[in-house]
Amino acid sequence: MIRFLKNRVAGPENPSQSLVLGSLEFELMEILWSRGESSVRDVVSKLSRPLAYTTVMTTLDRLFKKGLLDRHKSDRAFVYLPHLSRQQWERTRAENLVAGFLSGPNPSRELLLSCLVDAVGEHDAKLLDELEKKIRNRRKELLRQGQP
Amino acid sequence: MILPYLLRLLSLCFASFFVLNVAVTLLVRVSCKSAIRFAESRTSVTAARLLLALRLLPFGIAALFVVGLGLPSYLWLEPAAASERIGAICAALGILGAATWSISVTRTVLSLLASWRYHRLCRVFGRQTQVPGESSPVVLVENEAPLLAISGLLRPRLLISSGVLRALSADELNAALRHEHAHRTSRDNAKRLLILLAPDALPFLRPLRRLEHTWSNLAEWAADDRATAGDSDRAVSLAAALVQIARMGTRPRLPFLSTSLLACDRDLSARVDRLLQPVPIIPAPAGKPHPRLRIAAFLLPACLAAILLTPSTLSAVHELLELLLH
Repeated sequence: MIRFLKNRVAGPENPSQSLVLGSLEFELMEILWSRGESSVRDVVSKLSRPLAYTTVMTTLDRLFKKGLLDRHKSDRAFVYLPHLSRQQWERTRAENLVAGFLSGPNPSRELLLSCLVDAVGEHDAKLLDELEKKIRNRRKELLRQGQP
Repeated sequence: MILPYLLRLLSLCFASFFVLNVAVTLLVRVSCKSAIRFAESRTSVTAARLLLALRLLPFGIAALFVVGLGLPSYLWLEPAAASERIGAICAALGILGAATWSISVTRTVLSLLASWRYHRLCRVFGRQTQVPGESSPVVLVENEAPLLAISGLLRPRLLISSGVLRALSADELNAALRHEHAHRTSRDNAKRLLILLAPDALPFLRPLRRLEHTWSNLAEWAADDRATAGDSDRAVSLAAALVQIARMGTRPRLPFLSTSLLACDRDLSARVDRLLQPVPIIPAPAGKPHPRLRIAAFLLPACLAAILLTPSTLSAVHELLELLLH
């Protein structure tokens, strides 16, 4: 009870920090995103490597404290479910990242923008390559049709 | 005595224009999706005409009502000595109507100025020359920017950069010039001016923006179809010219009253795919309309005017305006 009150009064951690996940945390989140509501035992059974029950329980508890999971008791054991969908989690992460850059000094804003421009440019180049390939194929087709 | 009379007239004109413009705009907005779907099932030229007509419909109906019915009925039936006061709602609607007109006129003047300045700059820094495949002189700008556009309203000129001349092969250049020529013959810049002049019923929400955007895309498709005229080789050359220009990097920002070969990147893929279709699209020949259509186009407005301008119609309109005024 005291721990619960302490958690509630302390409020959530820095939101951008709470969205950063370690490899085990991410694996557990993946399981919960795919399975939905699960107990610790269910999660342990779905892991790709053998891990102690207590390790998983502690990690899930940490995720709950980060605000990424909700939980309720069922038959004396906690059942966990994701607080955010995977899409929401990714979106919030991206928003926090961009907001962090934009609130920073000028150089970091410019860096972000130049990265975005480069990314868009690369995408454009790929698209233009594809279109050029289509044009070449159509030219060949027309040449074949033109030949007797 | 004349001032209150004129003030009432102005308030009524602006208020009735605003009310009708909003009402028809909302109707067009509601039917926008199905209208676009229907238009897209027709040829690109017909579809572009249809959507432009739909975009201008609210302005046309509102202006026709004010000029054709509101004004004559007021001038004929309203006694100059009447000492009526303008109601609050009418005044508010009149102010809104005047505001939408002011925004539209300001937008148009600014666009005309921007277009004139851009054209002048190109003429100062470029030179007039002849390009193979183009009968009228073009303005050649010594620059690597991907510039190939038609600018101007009364005598639209082709603007081209030396970078584009170097980048395109003879066939590609010919196809691109035919595309620009198609824009010129269909007077797309003048149509853009009409869109600017037709005031948005709700300027900050721009409910007909989607219609304008689709029209703009369809006008490009129509110019593509006219340029290729069903010739598969020319279609492939135009597609290659589009990709070549897209590769040249960031395009210069052109004023609203101009049309360029590659106006919107998002449409590039769709345009190239259309041009590479196995069965080329042949646009309908731009001949004179059928004689019956021409007679109908003359008779219909004449009959409508004869019915609307009868004394009973005018007095009914006057009563309606009196209701709005108070």
